[in-house]
Amino acid sequence: MRNPVKDKVAIVGVGSTGFRRNIEGRSRNSLAVEASIAAIRDSGLRREDIDGISASSPAPGYMASALGLPSVTHYTSGHVPFVFAIVDAMNAVFSGSAECVLLYHSVYRAPAISASAARDPFRRGLGFGGSIPPVPSRTDPESVAGAVGYAAWASRYLHEYNVGREGFARVAVSDRSNAAANPLAAVREPMTFDDYYAARMVREPLSLFDMDVPVDGADAFVITTAERARDLPNPPVLIHAATAGLTDRNEEDQIPGLRRHGQHVVVESLRAKSDIWIPDVDLYFPYDGFTIITLSWIENTGWCAPGEAGDFLKQHWDEPRHRILINGRIPVNPHGGALSEGGTQGSGHIREAVTQLRGQAGPRQVPGAKTALLTPGGFFFNAQGLVLRAE
Amino acid sequence: MGKAGLVAAISDAELLARFPDTWISHDNKEFYRGWLEERLLLNRCRACGYWQHPPKPVCRNCWSDDVEAAAVSGRGTVHLLIRLHQGPPAPGVDYATPLPVATIELEEQPGLRYTSTVVNCPPERLDIGLPVRLAWTERYGAPFPVFEPRPDFGGEADA
Repeated sequence: MRNPVKDKVAIVGVGSTGFRRNIEGRSRNSLAVEASIAAIRDSGLRREDIDGISASSPAPGYMASALGLPSVTHYTSGHVPFVFAIVDAMNAVFSGSAECVLLYHSVYRAPAISASAARDPFRRGLGFGGSIPPVPSRTDPESVAGAVGYAAWASRYLHEYNVGREGFARVAVSDRSNAAANPLAAVREPMTFDDYYAARMVREPLSLFDMDVPVDGADAFVITTAERARDLPNPPVLIHAATAGLTDRNEEDQIPGLRRHGQHVVVESLRAKSDIWIPDVDLYFPYDGFTIITLSWIENTGWCAPGEAGDFLKQHWDEPRHRILINGRIPVNPHGGALSEGGTQGSGHIREAVTQLRGQAGPRQVPGAKTALLTPGGFFFNAQGLVLRAE
Repeated sequence: MGKAGLVAAISDAELLARFPDTWISHDNKEFYRGWLEERLLLNRCRACGYWQHPPKPVCRNCWSDDVEAAAVSGRGTVHLLIRLHQGPPAPGVDYATPLPVATIELEEQPGLRYTSTVVNCPPERLDIGLPVRLAWTERYGAPFPVFEPRPDFGGEADA
């Protein structure tokens, strides 16, 4: 499979507001702006150098105006989960559409999923993820569209493989253990297995602790050529391979099954493009917006056979630190992931990978980390893969 | 769709008036017209016979645009099953008793599925694999398709 962009483009700047369950009195745009300024400053570039924008929210025109970017030649928006933005910026830099691209993603608690957000009069009427809904529409609960689809396939997973929820529990507990050392994380108090099993059911068989934490915050990045990256202050992090995955059936209740969906396309593509693969990676970031997604990525990436992720995590459990440590050395979502840092749709995972590959992760630092495998997104419309490496 | 003229009696204006908060297009209008006659009409290709859902303007299998809204038997088995302990507001749903949300694999074609709820079923009997059949309730003044256990597999007798 062709991959001419391999190692030609680098992530040179990162910025984050950190993530909290209760940031009050601030707009979503203010969070994105703060993270973007931090990322540009971190990169060592000037505002005049930024000639591309790959946005989630707000739109590129807003950001260029807010930051006073004088000359932008490439801009696109709407990228979630965040590898879509990475791929867009990578291609823009590789093709010459832009030289230095600003990327950002903001998340904002919606009133429907957060009691404190519901009390904020300025969030009234916001939809999922803080979006502005197009028109009023009926919301029949007898549906598995959207995030509910993961609970539906979790039921099928437990049924087909005749397993219990132990695997789900290990994903949730491990993320929480890792978040304790991450000051950007929204939820850092320890979680025991008893805590996990005591959590109230929300979309049975998934409970409160199987679902990511709604947060306010933003991450931002700057991407440029690997060549230019060598003249900038931070160690370059190279984009080695990136992909996304759809199949012929992607609606939540129509995917072929647990053995064939977007994740399988991602793994086939990424494995063909990448010179780096399991088990020879130093960092692993399977998406964890829901615990079932993590178990599925572990199986579909080939760490173990289908249905065996629970046993795999038991075998690779770092008991003293209550977390997953594959082969005694590879941490899984060392920042705490979507379940504990906060639901960032992948931007937090990518930010942590960059920080680790630069050697700047402080108490979380994996000694000598040179390569990272990331698989953001879920089953249906948004499975993605990314391999990053240090120069 | 609509080439078979299945439910021509209900005008476009009436259809839109009966579903004021539903996004109805040329691709799904016959599907919702079917609801008003208590018939579950899914997208079937008249050229190759392939079924798909939700409705699409062409057949995924053969790319024919000769697709119609055709009635399914309504028989199938529970393939995916959630119990919602909280969720969006809907008339008659309070979540005090968790609401089952079930994806039914229909007998017409492997992988052809329809998602709704299962009624007239004790919670302890409801599980993946349960044989069910189509039934109808009402919501917002219009029929709404649901499923119930099949009497031939121990479901309750016809009312």
